[in-house]
Parts: sequence; C-alpha cells; structure tokens
Amino acid sequence: MADPAVSETVNRPLADPRKPHATFLLILPTLGILIAFLLFPYLNMIVMSFRTPSTSDVFAPGYTIGNYLEILFDEDFYYLEILLNTLLLGAMTTAICLLLGFPVAYHLARSRSRVTTLLYAFVLSPLLVGVVVRCYGWIIILANNEGLINATLRDLGLVETFLPLMYNMTGVTIGLVHIFLPFMILPLTGAIQSIDPALEEAARSLGASRLTSILRVVLPLSLPGIQAGTILVFVLTISSYVIPVLLGGFNVVIMPTLVVQQLLDAMLWPFGAALAFVLALAGTIVVWIYLLLTNRLMRGVAR
Amino acid sequence: MTRLAIEGLTKKFGDVVAVQTLDLAIDDHEFISLLGPSGCGKTTTLRCIAGFEQPSAGRITFDGTDIVDRLPEDRNIGMVFQNYALFPHMTVRENLGFGLEMRKTPAAERRSRIDRVLATVQLGGLGDRYPRQLSGGQQQRVALARAIVIEPAILLLDEPLANLDAKLREEMRFFIRTLQQEVGITTVYVTHDQGEAMVMSDRIVVMFDGAVHQIGAPTDIYDRPATRAVASFIGQSNFIAAEVRGRDGDGLYRLESGLGALTSRFSGSLEAGQKVELLLRPEAIELTGDGAGGNVNLVTAELRERYFLGNTLACRLKVADGSMLAAQAPPWLDLDVGQSIGCRFAPERTWLIPR
Repeated sequence: MADPAVSETVNRPLADPRKPHATFLLILPTLGILIAFLLFPYLNMIVMSFRTPSTSDVFAPGYTIGNYLEILFDEDFYYLEILLNTLLLGAMTTAICLLLGFPVAYHLARSRSRVTTLLYAFVLSPLLVGVVVRCYGWIIILANNEGLINATLRDLGLVETFLPLMYNMTGVTIGLVHIFLPFMILPLTGAIQSIDPALEEAARSLGASRLTSILRVVLPLSLPGIQAGTILVFVLTISSYVIPVLLGGFNVVIMPTLVVQQLLDAMLWPFGAALAFVLALAGTIVVWIYLLLTNRLMRGVAR
Repeated sequence: MTRLAIEGLTKKFGDVVAVQTLDLAIDDHEFISLLGPSGCGKTTTLRCIAGFEQPSAGRITFDGTDIVDRLPEDRNIGMVFQNYALFPHMTVRENLGFGLEMRKTPAAERRSRIDRVLATVQLGGLGDRYPRQLSGGQQQRVALARAIVIEPAILLLDEPLANLDAKLREEMRFFIRTLQQEVGITTVYVTHDQGEAMVMSDRIVVMFDGAVHQIGAPTDIYDRPATRAVASFIGQSNFIAAEVRGRDGDGLYRLESGLGALTSRFSGSLEAGQKVELLLRPEAIELTGDGAGGNVNLVTAELRERYFLGNTLACRLKVADGSMLAAQAPPWLDLDVGQSIGCRFAPERTWLIPR
C-alpha cells in the first residue's frame, strides 16, 4: 500500500492555483451542451406534463395535475402496471446480462492470448451495426412461422405449430440482452482487470477451488464494475423503444412505447410528458435505492 | 512437517527454458533460499512447488508423495506473495480465517488459532482492521500469519520483503527466521537479496539462467563459491587470473599470476598448468603499510582511492599488473591517496575458481 502522503500528491487534480477558472473553462463546452440539450428540454417536458390536454391543439391554456392523477389512480392501475412491467423487464435484462457477461468479462480480463482481441471485437460487435438492422436479424431468427428456429423445429417434427419466441416479452428480452450486453461486459472487464491476479492465487494456496476463489475474491472486488454495468443496462433497457417495438410488436406495451403512442398517435403531449416523467422518476428512485444497497455491500472494497 | 524433494525439474515457456533439470532435497524444518538475479528461474521454481505452474518435466514430492498433478488448493501450502495479496475486502481476522474456513475448521477452533497466530506476529489488537488501514510492515505480518495459520506442509515466500523500506526489511529478516524456527516449518524463500538469504537460510540455492550453480550453507556460498557467477553475485570480490604451478601440502596450491607467486587454499583437485581465478574478498586483504609480517601472498600496491564508510575504509588499490583491487581497511588506519603500501592476504582466506 502506498504511503497516504504520496497518494494524496498523486490524486491532486492538475489545477493551477494561479488560474482557478482554468478547469471550469475546460468543462464549459460540455456543460453548455448539457444545459441546452438536456436540462432545458427536461424542464420543458416537466412544464408540459402540468399543462391541460387539448384535442385540437398541443395543449390548452392553464395548468393541472390531472395528468399525474390519471396515471397514479387509474381504475385498473393500467399505467402503474405498465410501469412495473417496464422495471421488471429492466431487472430481468440486467440480471441475464450480468450472468452472461461476468464469465466473458473475467476471461477478457485474465486472458493473455492473442485470441482475446478477436473476442473483444465479438463483444463490441452489437455496437457496430445499427439497432434496427440487428432487430431485423433477430426477426429472421425468432419469427413465429418462417423464423429460423421455428422452421427448423417444425421440420424436425419437434413442434407442431411454433414456439412463441417473438411478439412477447421473451423476444424483447432476447433482443435487449444481445444489444446491451457490451455495456455490462466493458465495465466488468475493467473492474476485474484492476484486481491483482495474485489474490486468486492466494485464495487457491489457502485451499479454495478456482470457482470458490472467483466467488469469494473476484466477485466481491468487482462490485464497482458490476454496479456500473447493471445501472447502465437497466437505464438503457427501461428507456429503450426501437427493440421493444420491433421484437414485441403491439403485444408488448412498456413505458417508452406508451409514451410514443401518446405523443405521436394520440397527440396527447401533456399526458405523454407526464408518463415520461413518471418513468424517469421511477427509474431514478430504483437506481438510487440500488446504489444505497450496493454501496453498503462495497464498504470493504473501496480503496 | 515435511521433506520436500525436487527431481529433474524443468520448466519451459515456449522455447525459453526457465528452469533446467533442478534437483533439490529439502529437509524437514529446513529454511532454503532460492537466490539469484531476476529471471534466473527462482520464482518459476517456487510457482511449480506451489502448483501455479505445471513443470515441463520432473517430480516434486512432499514426504515421498508426488504432488505434480495436484491442484494448488490440494497441496497444503502456505504462500506469502511479494505484494502480500491480502484480500482487501476482508478484515485481518477474515483474511486469516479464509484458509481455515476452506478446511472446514470449526468456528471456535478457528477463533483460537487466529488469536494465537495474531499474537505470534504481534498484531493482537489489529484483527478487525482492513488491510489498507495497516502499514506495509503490518500487512507483511498479516500475510505471514495467513500463510502459517493453516499449518501448511510447506511455507513458500516469494520476495516478501521487496516492498518494505530498508530498515524494516532488516528487522523482518530476523523476525521471519525466528518465526520459522518457532513454528518449525519447512520453508522455501525466494529472493534476489543476498543479505536476506545469508541471514535466514540453512542452505542457499544460487541460480543463474535457470540452472543451479551451487547449493550450500551461507558460509560455503561465500567462502567457497563454485563458480565465478556465484562469487561475484554474493559479496564484493576481486578476481586474479593465475595458473596452477603445483600442490603445496594440505589443500594449498602454488600459483603464478600477474602479481607474482601466490598461494591459495582449494579443496578440489587441479592439474599443474591449469588456468584458474583466485577469489580475493576485500576484507581478506590486510593493508600492512610497512610490508612486515611474512611474505606469502604479499604484494605492493598503490592506494588510488579511499572512502570513509564509518565502520570501514573502502580502498581501491592499483597492483603490479595494472589491475585494481578493492580492499577494506580499519577506519582508524591513516592512509594517504597515492601512497605505496604492502598488502597481504592469508591463503586460507582465498579460494580458486577453475576457468
């Protein structure tokens, strides 16, 4: 371990004490873009969500909390159920990505073979092709009647009609996992790479099997990477639109598809804005609770 | 406690031979150091014993049982790593408890054994700290404690003192040696630091380029080195090229060199006319000043440089054939640079290395 005095020196930001504003000037461009294209539209959306809906115009004069009341107190809890489904889809996709991604990330982080570069390319490949193209790829594979899987199964006589692989949550989850997996693997790989391989050897010298040493040493120490990866995938999933629409069709209704429906089909801008804000808020709360819980787990890991 | 035997151990990485047919038998309770410069194969040998590298050929046995095909976790070894490799997310007690937990030791016994070992390494009050809250020396002792609390068959140490500052390193040498004696555990210690190896070891294995040059007690290695590489790696040395003239009684050889006729002790057998190098340690050179006291191995030299080191004077002498000799003199000796002095070295304090 480094001497605390030394690490303090190393960690000090590169600021020139004579020009205290130099750092600020450097972040100014990014800050400007964020204010203009994120903060401002967000505020605009929040304001919109409190406007009175209108059938003939974008919105009617006056303000109301009616949009939110309708979302929260609908008789069948229709909107809340969709919100819950959206969050569950996010949790499910995130969990599958973590299960599939951890072994790959571990291998990427630990392998010294030249094949690793190729594996990196495979891992990143979903990001290299447009999301629509990839979804059509999955449609060819998953489609109900003439899809690759179902056609093969039918030809083999294993199924009589078809397996419902598409136009339901299964298809959407498959697509989401495929496309968001890199966002899990990359932070995980970074986290595992920063764990000294000697720790695993130490565990094994003490009698732990390879699996035990990964579960007891690597897994807890990679929690920062797991935290980053899971939050990324969760947030991306609950706000994804194209994949659920293409692979879920009209059968899968989640918050983003509902929002677009309200905005574009029903032209109910204030209500759509309220739905979008509820989704954003719910997502934020979930992530916040998750951060609190995982930070508690990571208390020993922080260096 | 365990006898460790290594027979014909060879390890290749591709075409590179890291260790070449190493044979070594380590006795129960013995403390062995593998000493050599980096890349000499000492760490590879240790990792083969630990099971982290698979030997290309050869056998490794613990008490006669071949363990080459056993996984590291099934070898019952205790290992201390260069950077300690303490689990950062576990407290000191949890670090120590890990190996016991893997051995399914009951919780009560686990507690008492951890307490006992923590006391042994003088870390009694620090059991609930995390490794990052400890100093380097304390972390080092936790690593030692973690390795011995499981009462392993063999203790393996991979340059455990390399990351400590000089003063602490000095202290830890004695600490580790005393601990090893107390616990009575067969120990293999890897280091490139000759001082560490000398202080701690019963025997030292000196390695260069994957090959063992000499195995022996610290005094053997220092006073009777087998090769020039061993002699120059350990301690300071002067080499004087010479040719054997004949045998002169009990283990003494007469030589002819650029400095004239010399006599040296040597236990091996040499032919007349054979080319050798005479190893002369700086502290074996006696600066007589006036040249009195016998004329065996007496040469005149010119003092070219002298440095005061507190407990000794380091001198550089120019001798008859123009070469330089390093010598040590008592610090109270009043010597002037440029002065001509006689220097004498007893034949019993020199050694020969065949060329």
